[in-house]
Amino acid sequence: MMKEEETRNINIVNSEPLSPLKKWSAKWSLWPCHFVTSCCGVELAHAYGCGYDGERLGSLAMGISRQANTIIVEGTITRKMARPLRVVWEQMPDPKFVNVIGACGERGGIFWNSYHITHPHRIVPVDFFVPGCPVTPEALLRGIRALQDKIEGDDRSTISFRTVDLSGAGGKKNRVPESPKIIAPTPLVKPDIPSGVRWEEGEQIVEMLKKVLGELVISITVTDKDRIAIKTTPENIREVAARLSAEMKIDHVKSVNVIDVPHERKFIIEYTAGSYEKELMPVLFTIFADLRSGKDEISFPSLADIWMSADYTERELQDFFGVKFEGNPGREGNFLLAPDTPKFPLRRSFKLEEERYVLEDDKPFAPVIDPPTEFDIPLPPGLEEEVGAAGEYLLLVGPHHTGSGHLRWIMRLKGDTLSEVIPDPGYVHRSMEKLAENRLYIQNIPLFERLCIVDPFNVNLGYVRTIEKALKIDVPERATYIRTLMAELSRIDAFTYDAGIFSLFMGHSTGFMYLWAIREMLLEMITAMTGSRCSPSFIIPGGIRRDISDEVLNLVEKLPTAVQGRLRKFEDIFVNNPVLISRVKGVGVLSREDAIKAGIVGPFLRASGVEYDIRKIEPYEAYGDLDWEVIGADDGDCLVRFLVRLEEMQESLNIVKQCVEKLKSMERGGVMSEAILGEYSEAKDDIRGSFYRVFGNLVLPRGEWSTVTEAARGTLFFSILSDGDSNVPYRVRTISPSWYNLRGIIEASRGEKMADFWAVYGSFGYFPPEADR
Amino acid sequence: MMGTIEALINLMMADQVAIPLLDPILNILYGIPLLGYLLAFILWKPIFAGLVCPGFATLGVILMLFPWIERKLVARMQWRVGPREILPQFGGIIQLLADSLRFLFQEVIVHRDAKQPYFVQFPVLSFIPALLPLLFIPAGVIVAVKSAYGVQIILALVCLFPFFILGLGWASNSRFAYIGTVREAFMYFAYEIPFIIAVLAMIVLYGTSDPVAIAGMSVPGIILNPLAALTFFIAAAMATSRLPFEIAEADQELAAGPHVEYSGILFGLIYVMCYEKMYILSGLMTILFLGGGSGPEIAILGDLSGVVYFMIKTVIVMTLLAALRGVYPRYRLDQGLKIGWSSMLIMGTLALVISLAEVLIL
Amino acid sequence: MKKIVAPDYGLGETVKSHAAAIKVAIKEAILPQTVTSHYPGERRRMPDCFRGYLRFDPEMCISCFQCSFICPANAIGMREAPDNRYYPTIDYGKCIFCYFCLDSCPGGALKPTKVHDVAYNDVDEMLTPTCDMIDMPEIIREDERYVEYKIDEHDLSLERVKGLDDLAVELPELEKISMVSVCVAPENCLSCRVCEEVCESGAITSALDGDEIRMTIDTTTCNGCGLCVKECSMQVLRLVRREI
Repeated sequence: MMKEEETRNINIVNSEPLSPLKKWSAKWSLWPCHFVTSCCGVELAHAYGCGYDGERLGSLAMGISRQANTIIVEGTITRKMARPLRVVWEQMPDPKFVNVIGACGERGGIFWNSYHITHPHRIVPVDFFVPGCPVTPEALLRGIRALQDKIEGDDRSTISFRTVDLSGAGGKKNRVPESPKIIAPTPLVKPDIPSGVRWEEGEQIVEMLKKVLGELVISITVTDKDRIAIKTTPENIREVAARLSAEMKIDHVKSVNVIDVPHERKFIIEYTAGSYEKELMPVLFTIFADLRSGKDEISFPSLADIWMSADYTERELQDFFGVKFEGNPGREGNFLLAPDTPKFPLRRSFKLEEERYVLEDDKPFAPVIDPPTEFDIPLPPGLEEEVGAAGEYLLLVGPHHTGSGHLRWIMRLKGDTLSEVIPDPGYVHRSMEKLAENRLYIQNIPLFERLCIVDPFNVNLGYVRTIEKALKIDVPERATYIRTLMAELSRIDAFTYDAGIFSLFMGHSTGFMYLWAIREMLLEMITAMTGSRCSPSFIIPGGIRRDISDEVLNLVEKLPTAVQGRLRKFEDIFVNNPVLISRVKGVGVLSREDAIKAGIVGPFLRASGVEYDIRKIEPYEAYGDLDWEVIGADDGDCLVRFLVRLEEMQESLNIVKQCVEKLKSMERGGVMSEAILGEYSEAKDDIRGSFYRVFGNLVLPRGEWSTVTEAARGTLFFSILSDGDSNVPYRVRTISPSWYNLRGIIEASRGEKMADFWAVYGSFGYFPPEADR
Repeated sequence: MMGTIEALINLMMADQVAIPLLDPILNILYGIPLLGYLLAFILWKPIFAGLVCPGFATLGVILMLFPWIERKLVARMQWRVGPREILPQFGGIIQLLADSLRFLFQEVIVHRDAKQPYFVQFPVLSFIPALLPLLFIPAGVIVAVKSAYGVQIILALVCLFPFFILGLGWASNSRFAYIGTVREAFMYFAYEIPFIIAVLAMIVLYGTSDPVAIAGMSVPGIILNPLAALTFFIAAAMATSRLPFEIAEADQELAAGPHVEYSGILFGLIYVMCYEKMYILSGLMTILFLGGGSGPEIAILGDLSGVVYFMIKTVIVMTLLAALRGVYPRYRLDQGLKIGWSSMLIMGTLALVISLAEVLIL
Repeated sequence: MKKIVAPDYGLGETVKSHAAAIKVAIKEAILPQTVTSHYPGERRRMPDCFRGYLRFDPEMCISCFQCSFICPANAIGMREAPDNRYYPTIDYGKCIFCYFCLDSCPGGALKPTKVHDVAYNDVDEMLTPTCDMIDMPEIIREDERYVEYKIDEHDLSLERVKGLDDLAVELPELEKISMVSVCVAPENCLSCRVCEEVCESGAITSALDGDEIRMTIDTTTCNGCGLCVKECSMQVLRLVRREI
């Protein structure tokens, strides 16, 4: 059927009369419809931004399916997104063409065995496939060129190989080795195993906790520096939470986690909470309880009314594990997952396809995934009636919409006023947590990096720091400076991306383009350092993959001053533009209390007056040795949220400058910790040749290891539960800044005008792949 | 019979567009039977105005070129290149030809929920208010219909425009189109009154509403009453949905509002319609404020000299309107309305007062 | 904490900032700081460390499977060549260009290129068998120039150089860490012969010694691929440095 549809479209251009004109016009007017489905959208923006400018080829990026004639499928099509893809394709007038970019859209890329992805070529007829993860803008334009050639009548792949004859004398037939994964059959899973680190304040806090909680808890353990595990029971957990919230000022939840332990017939339900009170800021309180899993209906009391920040995360876990959180205000039906996803995919009884290391027949290997048959995305039941009764109307924005990003916003509107925005996320949910349980620790580095490819180093660092914390290895000084440098470049990367999208949301394409010029400069440097524009996977446990040459450092040194000229112009034309100021000032205000309650993080929280920056509170890498300031504000509206990040960019540039200076004064080489390299100590300057030998069998000590990292958009939470025997994690929990901020968007846009939603949305720098994980 | 034709020819010959440059060729051509008549017909001023300039042919060229100019200009401001590869030697000047041909050959989708047949009729019908005003706009001394009330008639026709957009949005029967339509209606009321007052101020100032007479004034209106010019320009930006007042279309919010459901050639019509409106309003602005086709006489072009000046000025005004896209973000609906009903209304009234003062004092 | 205060515009500032915005626009319209590189007519020059398509040198390959094991996307499948050795194939429909394989390859058999702009019209074509990975792939190239980003203290400018950019990259030769497999506890050996079966280089041999099967490792032929160490169920084998 797909083939037929593909030929139908190309036949329309070839049909008489006036076929040459039809071909010519279609060739030079391939307007791609805005169908950003995941990370490759960033590179699409670059291909149509000022660095490459796809409009040169007559290809004008167009938002509306009815007027476009090309879909560029950017990466992963999840089960949920498969429906919009087909619907948008049907909406487009013939003749229409489809290009798929990015490995995820071809055979799944790094998400090849995810339970939530589909293959776009089974959903719509695809003309060209462009490899890459993400593809480079040049590759994307090559896809457009190939499509142009196809319309002209020359349909072919743009690469050809010279086949070399490999036949030689046959040797003996060899046995195929087994999978490198070692998985313990009945692992010991406990979130409160002490790591043996002395932490004196911790003891005092434990004393205080004991006084406050008394009989309600089973045990209180200091597991690691800044982490206290409190074991309680499902019956008592609400009381524990209420007392912690009232008496210890523990005011937000960083993570909710469910750990399935089938061989002990239990679930461990875990809340990781924290406080924005100055002295408790760095401490993570993990409150957990065991839940018998034998019964059919598994339910657990919800803490969403005590800590609003736990709300969405609980709903997500309901989808994942089928654990009902009693009292959660969520509506019926799946929150994150597509309706036809296999039930409770994160339970351990749900098995993913295993890797194959040997190609048996010459066929590429990928599981067969049938596309969904229903193309309707249901609304929460009863919503329409409820809205009608309230005299309001519904507006469904997204997931295919110029201003929606990859999720659906269900807007309840009364006139022009938003009475509520209901998020419908999960269109980019790629099941990273489940995949991480099936891969080697080291293989998860690129996996988690796909959380946010505009902030790659910070995500990378977050995961690697967790491993390093567990292994208790120190990173050589040079490597910490390089990592800090990279983390700050990454922060600028994410800011420029978000600010560009913000200016687009405000209707200001010039602001977008100006930032894209700065981004091109930045990506040039990241490429020079690591070899990849957006997905470097450069930070590894114990250091970095290879040292950075002085030549590259000289290049990076110029960044802080080189961007200023263009940044000034951006400020003049966009930031200080009176039209913008009037649009965003005083809009979407979150007071300090509301901000903490909603659980927003990072610069957005600081813009509401909370002085919380993990880089200052528990300085990791080289942040403690550098001279920089935390940026904040009091107003908490869209304007200062944006301005805080703009100022943070200057601060980041300042850190970059200091790092480069320091690095230049340092001796080269030695960027890997020798403790982790073991006998491959030659690899300390460059890991090439020893990567698998060093990391292939990495096993973390038994226990749960949690870290928070200040990513560009705020707190990035990683928690790895290791059973101590397997070389794959038992459970990895990650909560990304965008997921925290989702609630902030909803709360801040309540009661505002409809058009203000985009001001709020843009000011929060929400990045759906990061949120959906 | 022959007499009537003779009389007609004489009538036409009496009012021919004078082009000294082409005179030798024209004189030969006039001598050829039939072709001569045809030429006389085309060069007859009222017909020339309607068919060639500022009418049909010029409009066509503007529609094919101006979006390209806009895209190139904005691309330049944005450190990009804009359309190019289609004809690299000329900077991709024929880009719009490819786009419009593509729209022409593409399927037109009339979705199930659309209100038929209005969904198809409105884009076509909207050409009436788009084309008629051209008859009253003089390019230099060339005008199709001379009327003492030309300015008012143009104004009235231009004001008809939003109704067709409302029609489009209504017939689309989609929620985004609906919201866009409502916004368009709101904005219509916000800009229409200051717009009319600004024009009124100029009519008061000039003491006539004949476009030809106004264009012939010695001092351009922008010097006599800059405030009226500013009000008119902002109102024109609102009327043509240019940023920062692109509120009804608001790509990121409403996915092009009223046009969201249109595809193929119907969208092509709507797409060019916006530019037609811009052309007319810029033409009107040229006449009212920039002295129409006046300028240092280029003797060799004769009557065309005025046409050239008129076109240059009009395109400059259009370019300024287009350039706004590169400079401004978008206002919110209530802010747009506030600007219309307060600042612009005050500015318009002040402009009227200035005009009255000038008339009374001078 | 450094506090940001939102600007408050009076009429004067409003007019001034309108003027500033318009000034930038006019300036850029006249003398733009364009940064566009005209792909496909020209291409950006990527640094040598750029991660593109991979090349493969069978001479250097020790069939250790490490590239396949490390591949986070499971894009590398080993394929038995006519000479009965296992060589990698890459499915570019999955490859994420992380170069973990290249960094893992102990023999330096995988080599980088700067080829990255490719489009396939069939998803099944994206599997690149070993025999195609040995020579540089040929791609459609329409470029006549390459663009280099010149970043100085003040700004970014594009330098266009006539000529084709060479997409092949030669890395400095890999300083190999030569390992060899030894049996640390022969008394625990079950003589299951898995190590012999998995050994590509034929260094492990078994011989009947009375009733027992005795395994021997020839350290001169052992290429240190480590498969035997990995497969040994009794974990009696270790990889150690080759004594020079």
